[in-house]
Amino acid sequence: MTLFRTVDDLLRGTHTRPEKLQKGEIDLDTGRLLTAVLLLGMTYGVFMGLYAVLRGGEGAIRQIGAATLKVPLLFVLTLVVTFPSLYVFSALAQSRLTFQMTLRLLLAAIAVNMALLASFGPVTGFFTLSTESYPFMIVLNVAFFTISGIVGLTFLRKTLAGVFEGAATGGQNVFRVWLVIYSVVGAQMGWILRPFIGDPHRPFELFRERQGNFFIAVWEAFWNLF
Amino acid sequence: MGSVLESVLAAGFADVDALLRGGGDEAEPPPWKRLLIASVSGGLFYGAVMGSYGLAPLQALYSALKVPLLVGVATLLCLPNFYTVNAVLGLRADFPRAVRAILSAQGTVAVVLAGLAPITALLYASLSVYGLAVAANGVMFLIAALAGQVALARRYRPLIAANPRHRLGRAAWLTLYIFVAIQMAWVLRPFIGDPSLPTRFFRSGAWGNAYVEVARLLWGLV
Repeated sequence: MTLFRTVDDLLRGTHTRPEKLQKGEIDLDTGRLLTAVLLLGMTYGVFMGLYAVLRGGEGAIRQIGAATLKVPLLFVLTLVVTFPSLYVFSALAQSRLTFQMTLRLLLAAIAVNMALLASFGPVTGFFTLSTESYPFMIVLNVAFFTISGIVGLTFLRKTLAGVFEGAATGGQNVFRVWLVIYSVVGAQMGWILRPFIGDPHRPFELFRERQGNFFIAVWEAFWNLF
Repeated sequence: MGSVLESVLAAGFADVDALLRGGGDEAEPPPWKRLLIASVSGGLFYGAVMGSYGLAPLQALYSALKVPLLVGVATLLCLPNFYTVNAVLGLRADFPRAVRAILSAQGTVAVVLAGLAPITALLYASLSVYGLAVAANGVMFLIAALAGQVALARRYRPLIAANPRHRLGRAAWLTLYIFVAIQMAWVLRPFIGDPSLPTRFFRSGAWGNAYVEVARLLWGLV
């Protein structure tokens, strides 16, 4: 329940008021944020992996297990890949954000992202129940990930605007570049970790062979709808 | 005798009346439970009339259950997202009122449908082509949906006046709800019941995706 309270407060923006941020405070517990990210991600993962279970193919149970773990993993790994460079360059630009504050801020943004994604879960579950088309499920999931990603990053952008209010803009520019890098890395990380949904015509595999990239694949899935 | 009947009717319809008039800060919608009763009974009634085209009692019963089911389940599926969207937009404090606004709008749709039911029945009595019966129901649902929009706009007016970001919250709700409700309606087919087909709760092979079907149709046309 306290975890729900943390997420609720986070979504309300209680922890990220500009007056607090400018003093360099974010009173959020890193451990609790991480737990929220993992649990919310796993919730959506279950809905995502349901498609394989309902199609009853070989390894369906393993697929739902994999999806449940992969969704939170996707976000944590993306953070691991992009955080060090963000910190280094933002310190170089003499940003007022400390290491700990940067980490908390990013985890908070990811938690917002995950909360929105998890709230799409029931809708994904419903479409999974009634849809045979694998390309449709891909496009639907990409849409939900994109929308919640945009909301998460908007939250980050607004919070940062609060942090940098009246300060030199070097640190802010670093973040702007980072936002783009984070989005691209996140999309490609999703591609590396695939399959999430599980093609019903293919046997279970934890990871697919290395080939292609995210952007080409989404384009193809869209055209396969018709 | 007449006045007793009148007062009984007035008491029963007080909620419906409050629901329909809506608007303003002073006119609160009926409490949760009574709102639910008004919505479900409105949906049941229209559904029963809707399913009576083939004069098969079983189809009427199925359709009666399906209309509240359609609205209820679609609403439940979208509510978690509505909560998150409101919280992210900084409207968390107004959330109970926003939900109230949405449920009142759903209730209005059900009550307006019930009000249109006699017209549907009359049309059924004068139409012998199944396709026209489907079209007639399409028109009724469109009218009810528009009435729902009017109710939603009224209930949202004070919220938007307090914080214009409620516009965005409402738009997010409508987008997701319509997206889900269309698929829900597709899954719950048939609502009217083609008299030439046997009566079933679900049409055989009815599961499937409305959007994929439409995309295929369009692609077939090109």
